Amino acid sequence: MIWEVFRQEEQGDYHTHCGNVHAPDREMAKQFAAIQHARRKPTNSIWVVPKDEIGELDADENSFGGVTDKSYRWAPTYKSDLDHAAEVIDSEGQQAEAEKQRGDA
Amino acid sequence: MEIDTVKERAGPREFSAADEMPLEYREAATRMIEFHANSEIMGAYLERPFIREAPSIDRKLAYSAKVQDEIGHGQLLYRAAESLGVKTREEMLDDLANGKGKFLNCFHYPMKSWPETAMIAFFVDGAAMRRQATLRRTSWEPYAHAMDKVCFEEGFHVKHGESILAELMTGSKKEQEMTQEVFEMWWPRIIQFFGPTDDKSTHHDFSADVGLKTQSNDDLRNLFLREYIPKAEKYGLEIPDEPRIRQRDDGTYEVEEGDLDWDEFFTIAKNEYEPGLGQINGRKEAQKAVQWVRDTLEWENVPEGTAKPQAAD
Ligand SMILES: [Fe+2]
Ligand SMILES: [Fe+2]
Repeated sequence: MIWEVFRQEEQGDYHTHCGNVHAPDREMAKQFAAIQHARRKPTNSIWVVPKDEIGELDADENSFGGVTDKSYRWAPTYKSDLDHAAEVIDSEGQQAEAEKQRGDA
Repeated sequence: MEIDTVKERAGPREFSAADEMPLEYREAATRMIEFHANSEIMGAYLERPFIREAPSIDRKLAYSAKVQDEIGHGQLLYRAAESLGVKTREEMLDDLANGKGKFLNCFHYPMKSWPETAMIAFFVDGAAMRRQATLRRTSWEPYAHAMDKVCFEEGFHVKHGESILAELMTGSKKEQEMTQEVFEMWWPRIIQFFGPTDDKSTHHDFSADVGLKTQSNDDLRNLFLREYIPKAEKYGLEIPDEPRIRQRDDGTYEVEEGDLDWDEFFTIAKNEYEPGLGQINGRKEAQKAVQWVRDTLEWENVPEGTAKPQAAD
């Protein structure tokens, strides 16, 4: 049985996918995952999920968002020379980054 | 986990579903997140009519995107609240419909004219964003994760709101006057967004002790005023004489509490503010109108003992 492994580096971080292990049951999957994926990198927690339990939808069967130009929904579209609050600047930076990725795709 | 341990360990993103949290913590967190979720939904309903009434196609697109975002924020937050195991998502949505669910004071007021959209999108979203940015460090991890995504999106709301404000304040004299007029109406409400000034008893309240809240209402109000008074002035808005606001030597602000209408505020807090009942009932009607959709989707809610729908049904 294949188990997908998600690793969380520090408390409060997201569990991110880092690979998978082959194991007969959940207990063994946890042990294998700890050895294979958390032995050398600092880890706070690991999730193992049976591969069969994961539903997947890919770009061939579905048209996802984020590919067409919807500039009206991005902060950088709205120009101003105001000194914005830190969190607005933060958000705008993250949005500019996301919009750049769309350009790269 | 004992409550003392919770207080000791309290810190950013410290607790998650993997921890056994005491009921007192889970109830306080549920109350806070449910209030937040309800506010997102009620804000969206308040702004929704302005998709239709937007003065241009660009504004219409932006408004429909914003309303969609806000409903999404509500959904994220109901998930974070549900993860505490105190109330189900269904219960929270039902409470909102039947008038028991509490939400932000600003979203109880009817919104009638286009210039008011700038008051919500620039000032209320701006105030909300100040608070939300601090909540990325809340102790309930699922709440903090929801705030990551909310804060990512909110910058657009505030800047779009600012763009509406800029357009109005550089428009005709009539537009400028109308904007000043609604600003005077909304300004005290926006200041009340942060609740009453902290007194000794509420200062060290439970939510702060367990790390759910990371900043006091007073701090947040200060941060807001420091940031947004100059912005309002920059666009030519005149800050109303009341409530009187004094700047202290250390740069913080003192708001004259007595100049604000706290009777109205607390009537609103009880969902009893007459002009605002339209908001609550409108949302209830909307929930009723799409009940048939829910009925076809929510198999989990089929009462015990009845046959579950089969693939052939
Ligand atoms: Fe929102
Ligand atoms: Fe917003």
